[in-house]
Order: sequence, then C-alpha cells, then structure tokens
Amino acid sequence: MGRDEESWIAERKRKRSIGDDAAAEAGGVLAMREMDMEKLRSVVRDCLGKHLYSSAIFFADKLATMAGNTPQDLYMQAQALYLGKEFRRALHLLRRFHLVSADLRFRYLAAKCLAEVKDWEECLVMLGEGDVDEDGNVEMAEEQGVDLSESKDVEEREIHISSAMCLLRGRAFEALENRARALCWYKAALKADPFCYEAFEHLVDNHMLTNEQESKLLTSLKFDPEDRWLSLLYSCRANKYGQGAKIDMKIAELEQELEEPQSDDESRAICSLKDNTDVMACRADLEYHRGDFQRCYESTKALLEKDPYHLRCMPLHLGAALELGRKNELFLRAHSLVQEYPTKAIAWFAVGCYYYCIRQYDHARRYFCKATAMEYSFAPAWLGFGNAYAAQDESDQAMAAYRTAARLFAGCHLPNLCIGMEYLRTNNLNLAEQFLLQAKSICPDDPLVFNELGVMAYRNKEFKIAADWFDKALNLAPKPLTDSWEPTVVNFAHTLRKLKMYAKAISEYEKALALYPRGASTYAALGFTHHLQGNSSVAIDFYHKALGLKPDDSFTAEMLSLALADECHLQNSSGSSQLF
Amino acid sequence: MAAVAHHRVELRRAIRQLRDRGLYSAAKWAAEQLVGLPEETETEKLALKRPFRRKEVAGQSSSGGVISSRDDEEDDDDDILSLAKSFFDVREYRRAAHALRGVAGQKAVFLRCYATYLYGEKRKEEEIVELAGPLGRSDAVNEELVALEHELSALYTKGVLDAFGSYLYGVILHERERKVEARAALCSSVNAYPWNWSAWLELQALCTDPDILPQLNLNDHWMRDFFVASVHLDLHRNSDGLARYRALHVTFPRSDHILAQTATAHYNLREFDEAESLFEELLRTDPFRIEGLDTYSNILYVKECFAALSFLAHKAVLTDKYRPETCCIIGNYYSLKAQHEKAVLYFKRALKLNRKYLSAWTLMGHEYVELKNTPAAIDAYRRAVDINPRDYRAWYGLGQTYELLVMPYYALYYYRRATQLRPHDARMWCAMGQCYENEQLLMHDAAIRCYRRAVTNNDREGIALHKLAKLHHQLGQADQAAFYYQKNLERMEADQNEGQDIVEALLFLATHFKNQNRLEEAEHYCTRLLDYGGPAKEDAKALLREIRSVQQHAATLPSMDLEQFTPE
Repeated sequence: MGRDEESWIAERKRKRSIGDDAAAEAGGVLAMREMDMEKLRSVVRDCLGKHLYSSAIFFADKLATMAGNTPQDLYMQAQALYLGKEFRRALHLLRRFHLVSADLRFRYLAAKCLAEVKDWEECLVMLGEGDVDEDGNVEMAEEQGVDLSESKDVEEREIHISSAMCLLRGRAFEALENRARALCWYKAALKADPFCYEAFEHLVDNHMLTNEQESKLLTSLKFDPEDRWLSLLYSCRANKYGQGAKIDMKIAELEQELEEPQSDDESRAICSLKDNTDVMACRADLEYHRGDFQRCYESTKALLEKDPYHLRCMPLHLGAALELGRKNELFLRAHSLVQEYPTKAIAWFAVGCYYYCIRQYDHARRYFCKATAMEYSFAPAWLGFGNAYAAQDESDQAMAAYRTAARLFAGCHLPNLCIGMEYLRTNNLNLAEQFLLQAKSICPDDPLVFNELGVMAYRNKEFKIAADWFDKALNLAPKPLTDSWEPTVVNFAHTLRKLKMYAKAISEYEKALALYPRGASTYAALGFTHHLQGNSSVAIDFYHKALGLKPDDSFTAEMLSLALADECHLQNSSGSSQLF
Repeated sequence: MAAVAHHRVELRRAIRQLRDRGLYSAAKWAAEQLVGLPEETETEKLALKRPFRRKEVAGQSSSGGVISSRDDEEDDDDDILSLAKSFFDVREYRRAAHALRGVAGQKAVFLRCYATYLYGEKRKEEEIVELAGPLGRSDAVNEELVALEHELSALYTKGVLDAFGSYLYGVILHERERKVEARAALCSSVNAYPWNWSAWLELQALCTDPDILPQLNLNDHWMRDFFVASVHLDLHRNSDGLARYRALHVTFPRSDHILAQTATAHYNLREFDEAESLFEELLRTDPFRIEGLDTYSNILYVKECFAALSFLAHKAVLTDKYRPETCCIIGNYYSLKAQHEKAVLYFKRALKLNRKYLSAWTLMGHEYVELKNTPAAIDAYRRAVDINPRDYRAWYGLGQTYELLVMPYYALYYYRRATQLRPHDARMWCAMGQCYENEQLLMHDAAIRCYRRAVTNNDREGIALHKLAKLHHQLGQADQAAFYYQKNLERMEADQNEGQDIVEALLFLATHFKNQNRLEEAEHYCTRLLDYGGPAKEDAKALLREIRSVQQHAATLPSMDLEQFTPE
C-alpha cells in the first residue's frame, strides 16, 4: 500500500503544477487543505489497519469528495469498500469514474470484486484477454512491460501484480470448472512471481500436476539466490514418492541453524527454519507416504500442539490416526473441528474418519459425502468416500467416487490406483491394467502401484512379470520395511513359489513373518512351500501353526491331512530304519 | 569356602540390583539361592566387615569378567528415577514410563521400556478378558511391542544396551517370533549379567531342541550350571539333569529350588516314591510354598492318594486361593474323584490366572477327553504344545483324541512327536502301533515294529505282546504268533492276570500245536483252557476230542511210536 500512496501523491502533484497556476495566491490555503486531506487519509489508513471498515468507508468517501475524486483517493475508497465487503459498491465506484481501464491495479481490484460476487465471466472479461500456453508462458495483449520495469527499482519485495492477475484468472477458470485453463494460469502466476504462494498452493494441494510436471515447473521457476529456502520448501512440498533421501536432505538444509559456520556463497542459503510448522508438516507428510504412521502421528501431534489450527497438516494427522486405529483421538479431534470450523470440509472429513475407524461405514460415507459437498476440491474426502463404499463391497458407487476424484485431481495417482484395485477385486483385469498403468504414468515411484500391478500379473498367471513388479515395489518401498509392506513381501513370496523358486520363496515368507508374526496365511503358505519341496514334516509344523492362529481354514486343514498321510508313508518306507 | 563367600556376595548385590529394576521374580529366585548356601561362618562375616570390602568385591567380579563397574554404582539414582520406581511398584506402569521419558541413563531407559512393556501386557490381558472366546483365544496383542522393538533394536545394534535391556529385547523378540535373534540377545544378556534368572528362563523357553544348547555361546559361570540342569530337565534328559542338580546341591545344600527340581526329575522318570518323599521334605521346610506343588499333586493323583491330595488341596486354598498352582491342585483332586466338570472349572480358573500355564492346559485336555468333548480337548492340547512343544503328555493326548475321532494319520503324527520326546516309553509305542493297525492304514509291518519297540522298552501293561501275537496270527506267521502268545502267557502268569487275553492265547496255542502235531503241548493248553468258562470251554472240549481222535488214529498207524501214546 505504501508505495501506491507515494506514487499517487507524486502524480497528483504533477497534475496540479500543470493545471493550477490561476490559484497561485490561494497557495497557502491550498497547502492547509492539503494537510487536512493528508490527515484524513491517515485516518482512513488507520481505520483500515484497525479493521474499522465502516469508518474507513465513511471517511474515504468524504475524503474522495473533498479532494475532488482523485484516482488515488477513489482507489482508497474502493479498497475500503472491498474490505468492508461492499463489493458491488466498490465495483460501481470504479466504473462510475471510469477508472477500470486506467491502471492494472484498478482493474485487478474490480476483477477481485467481481470474483467475490462470483460473477466469474465478468471477472475474466475485466482481467482482459490473455493467452497462456501449456507451460504457463503468458502472451498478454496488454502493455505490461511498463509495470514490470517499474517494480524492479523498488526496494521492498512485493507480489507482482501480473502474477496476482494470473492467479485470479486461474481461480476464475477453476470456478468455471475449466481446470485445464486454470492450471495454465496458476502456472503462469507462479512463473511471473515465485512468491505467489497461493498459486503454488492451488497447484499442489489440489493435485493438479503429475510428478513430472511438478518437477518441471519447479525447475523452471526463477529464484533469487537468497530465496533458496523457498525453492527448497516448494520442492519438499511438491512430491513425496521416490526421492526420500533427497527430500530428507532438503529438509535438513531447511532446518539448518544459523550458527553453523558456512562458506561464503552458501551462507546466504541458510534457512534456519527449524521447528517451523510448515517444515514439520513436510516431514510428517514424508513419513506418512513412507508408511511410517507411528512417527507421522507423533510429529503431527507435536505440530498440532504448537498450532492446533494448522489445517493443512490435519488430513495427515487424521490419516495417521486412522491407520493406527486411534479412535479416541479421532473422536476428540473431529468434535473440536466441527465446533470450530463447521463450514470446512476438513471438519466433516474428520467425522467420517472416525466412523471409518470404528467400521461404521454407512456413517462414514455420509460424512465424507458432506465434506465433498462443502468443498468440492477436497481430495481426501473423495478418496475416503470411495473407500467407505469399497469397504462395504459396493463397487459401483466406490468407482463413481474414485472417478470423480480422478477427474478433479489429475495429478493424483491415488484415484486411478483405487479404480484399478476395485477392478482387480471385481476381476476385471483388462480395465484394471489400464488404470494401474495410468496411475503408474502419473506417479512412477509409488511402490503400491507396483504391488497392484504385480497382483494383476499374478492373476493373469504371468508370474515372471509379477515377480518383477513385486521386486520393484519392494525396492521402492522405504527401508527398513514396516509391517504395512508385509502383504507385498507375501505376494512376492507367492509368486516365487509359483515360479518354483522355493528356497527364495521361503526366505521371503520368513521376512514377512518377521514383519508380522501372526499371519496365519503366511504360515500356511510357508508350510505349503515346504510341502511342495517334499519336506512334509516341516510343512506339518507350519500348518499347525497356521491352524493355531486360524482354526477354520479349510485349505490348511486339507493340506495338513495330506501332509500327515505323506509323512506317515514316508516314515514307513524310507525313514523307518532310523525311527525304529 | 571362598567360592561360597563369593557366591554370597554376588547374590546379595544381584538381589539389590534386580529389585531396583523391578525384576521381582529374579530377585526372589536369587534370594532363595542365597539362603540355600551353607550357613555363614564367623570368619566369613569378619571378612565382609573389612573396610575395603567393596573394592575387593569389585576386583573379584571384574576378574570374573562379568560385572561392568558402572552397574555396581547405585548412587546414580536421581529423584525422577525413584518417583518412577514408586509408580512402578504400585503398578502404575504408564505413569512410571511417562515420568521417565527423556531421562538418560541405562537404568532409567530399562525401567521405562520395562514399564511400557508391562503396561502393554496388562492392557492385553484386560482385552483378552473382555474379548476372549470360549477357550480364551483372542487376537489381543501387546500394542507397545513394535515401538519398543524399534527403540531397543537401535540401541542393541549400537551396542549401548545393558544386560537388562538385552533381556527385555530378547523377551520382545521372542514374542515377535524371531527366535534366533531373541536367543542372541538373551545370550548377550546372561553373559553380561548372569544373575538374572528370568533371562535364563526365557532362554530356556527358546531351547526347544536338544541341538540348540551346545550352540549357545555362554560364558562359564555357576548360574549357567543352574540353567543347564534346568534345560536338561525340560528336554526330558532327566537322569542328566538329576546328576547336575546333585552337583549343585553340594554348593547350595539348603536350596529349595534344587530340591523341587530334583523331585520333578524323579517324577518325570516315573519314580513316584522318591519324588513324593522329596516333596514332603520340601513342604516340611517351606510349608507355605505353592510353586511346583502341582507336580506333587500329579504324583498323588497317579498314586491315587485321596487323603493326601485332599489335604494338599485344602492347605493350598488356605495359603493362596487364586494361584494357578492351587487351582490346578484342586482340579486334580476333583478329577481323582471323577468330578470332571468341576475339574475343568478349576483348570479353567488356573488358566485365567496364567494363560501360559502349561500343565493346566494338558490336564484340562485330559478332562475334556473324559467328558467326551473332543474339540475342546484338542484345542486345550494344542495350546499346551504351542506353549511348550516338549510336553509329551499333550502330544499323546492329541494322538488319543484323534484316534477317538478315527483320524489315524493325525493320531500317528502326534504319537510320533510323543515318541520322539520319550523314546523309552512303551505306552507311546503301543499307541502308535494301534494307529498303524487302523483299517485306514493297515500297515502291519510298521505296527509290528512299534510293538516290538514297546516290548523292548518294558511294556508294563502287556498290550504289545498280545498285539504282536495277534498281528502275526493274522499275517499267518504262526510260529512268531505262538512265540509271542507264550511270552504273553508267561507275563500274565507272573502278574497273576486273568482275562480274555489268556483265553485267546491258550486257544491259539492249543490249535497251533495241534496243527503242528505237537499234541502233548496242545493238550496241555487245552486242559488249562478248561478252567475258563464260556464258549472257550466248549472250544477246548472240541479240540480235546479232536486231539484224541488224532492220537487214536496215530496209534493205528504202524510208524507211530507207541511210547508217545499216553492214555487218559
């Protein structure tokens, strides 16, 4: 605001010196008036600063009239009206004095007003024609070069006005559900000024970009060397799969303390963002994606103790709590969120999570649905909605929810993955493959995708391919493996067994048991593998163990009978001499 | 004498250290052994009062290479630690763990982890009570294990975990079914600090195979001797174990633990009288002891001493009603009185008090067999062998139950497990032989081998001989059949046994010798057969008539030697 005022004052002074020579003798009076005006302006500014919008509007109106409707004062009045939520009045004011075409700032403010009253078409018209290509390179019809050069001389860093306009265009297109165009404009906004965080937030939080696109965009951004921290933070937030070590390094750099001695050129890059909530959230996000839910839960809990309203990390916290089955925590959190943010999707999402956790999927569904109704572009709720249907074997509805999610969040591979999983479940292998491959192309580093691909190949009886997929999945999975990867290990072992690589299969089964020692089916499979090797006495032991954990498993019971008969005849024919 | 003094000093310190860490059972055991040493002589007492005692002790122990010096320091206690210990003592485990969070020092770390573990165990037990099925089966797990394992494994691999920490790590690994690693952790624990009997016991539970024991890398220490003796008992090498306990008895002449273990060994060897007298001695010195008395009640049960068992049961109830051993004794009492439902009730109660109480599972299985509730019996036996796969009674019980269910393959497998554990027990071999005879298998050769094995192992009940004879008879191997019938007859005569088996044997032998034309012997058996009533008598008469006619017929033949002819 400060710079605006000054430049306007300068302009006004210039105008006056040209047109006002007749009133030279009245100069003293004018000066007096000017001082009064100045006083009034400061009152308006102060009112705005103290959020006394009605007063601000009142005084700004008087000021504008007294000072003869100068653009500067009109701008101030419009600003006050905007802040006082009188958008149409502000718009009317700007239009009445034909200020809209005068300057980008006026036009932006007008567009902003139009956006607030949700007249998106008008808003776009107001912002003017502009073209943007896929990568967000703008070809504007307007003369923007002037403004660009102007802002360069100024000491203080500001968000570029053209960037703000691009952002607004993006929002308008998003509201008009033209997500492709919105995406381009967001990119343009970020390119015009990397400090335009809002654009980044839109892009990332709404999962608009695939991994590849994200990294391409981030490398194309021009950061000043002293803004390295921002670039680091952006890249940490962007994508979580496949580059764990790199992100770790980046987070470590962000958390570096100032005291540490550094060489000259690096000293500028020190960020000392240790304990900043956003960095903590980044770390928690990483832990979540690694499947380290315990640690993620702990970090998000610590974070929420510092900042209980850090809503961006809330889905993570809820997700981790859900994975860990902390229903008590979910209950309390959902209650307080509903009380504090009854209009936010996250609050109802939390309620849905709670019901999902206690396996009341009907209720869960209802609240996830409510969350999506509140905020259409809230990705976790859509996935939760689908999962709640899937948990009740209602494939069609689940698929519908996932499909919506896939449409809304083109950069998120999870909906595609879920669709693929649903198709796998309903034994529709061709379609499953299509969606899984699509998920893979969006995010080539998520081990879960490879696990599902492996399962599909296994179902198709292409065991060699399946083994490759599982191997890849296990390579990508964060080390050391947690028990959430136990199924993948078991799958891999099953595949090896099918390939008759029994020794390796056995070692994989044993690995799986080290991760989760109570898996009845793992014991059964291990026994079966030994049995296939003709090692029936070991097989019997493992079948017993499996039946001990799950007594009603008919396959194991049958195999046990067979193994016992084998063992009996074996002992009798070959081992008898040693036994008797 | 110096060794005794040394043991005394070690045990005294160990009791203090174990108690400080909340390892109460181990402390109790150590105290028992301390009192088990011979009485302290005056010179010893004087030696201990010397001013530089402490230094000397430290020197001694470090020469043994077992105690690290920092374990010896008891002054690192700070206030938080004592607060946490107080919480721990009143079983507020979570609170204790919380109080100790972030406190450095090995003792604090151990106490925190141990309290967390115990909290998880407590929670698990509660959940089992809430969610358990009819036989106490449930999926409740200790929720804290994963996190604890993470923490301890990091410390363990860094090598900064002390002996107590490694003990806890071993326990957790055991529960996570990672036995090899658990053994390694426990070995390192007992090597660093041998006086923790709980660690030895945990290690013993992991020595399920006789081959494992020699592979363990254990430092030489007198505590190891206790361990080895106990493991031998557990592996059914009772005579070996007995010898080792005798050796230990020299050093610890007054130890009740050794006495009880010796008695158990005798019981395992089926030397019931010795075992009984030892238990009586034990009860004289320690009348309110309950540990190990379930074995005593088993002896009384086998010997059918109603009065003594009743007395024992009443005494145990007065001492401590809600001890698993007490419930087990009462269960045995009711079982002996053939009140099987009540017996099951008490075994169940014992298991509610301690789910890993092996003998109660087995005995409950027996009771369910008596009640003809085979599924429940199988489940109970299964639980027993899950807890300890060396419990031959449970394997045998499983075999019997499956035999009742006419599933010979299953029964055979379980009997084989039992024979592997007790290769010199004729009962198991007989049972196995019976399985082979089943019409689903009909493997007579194998059955014969089993029965022979039973005979060589002194089959007291004589089932094997009879079965062998019958089998050979069926297979048409008349000579062998006759051999075994004769042997069985001898045995039964020695036992003054009367019964259908004798009749059968006599009848066969009579027919057999008649067919072989050894008429004199045939006649001998026939006349003996006449002493028994029923259809056998008629058969005998018919046979005799036949013999006579043969004899007469032979007399008419010229080739027949006349002297063979003996008129009636």
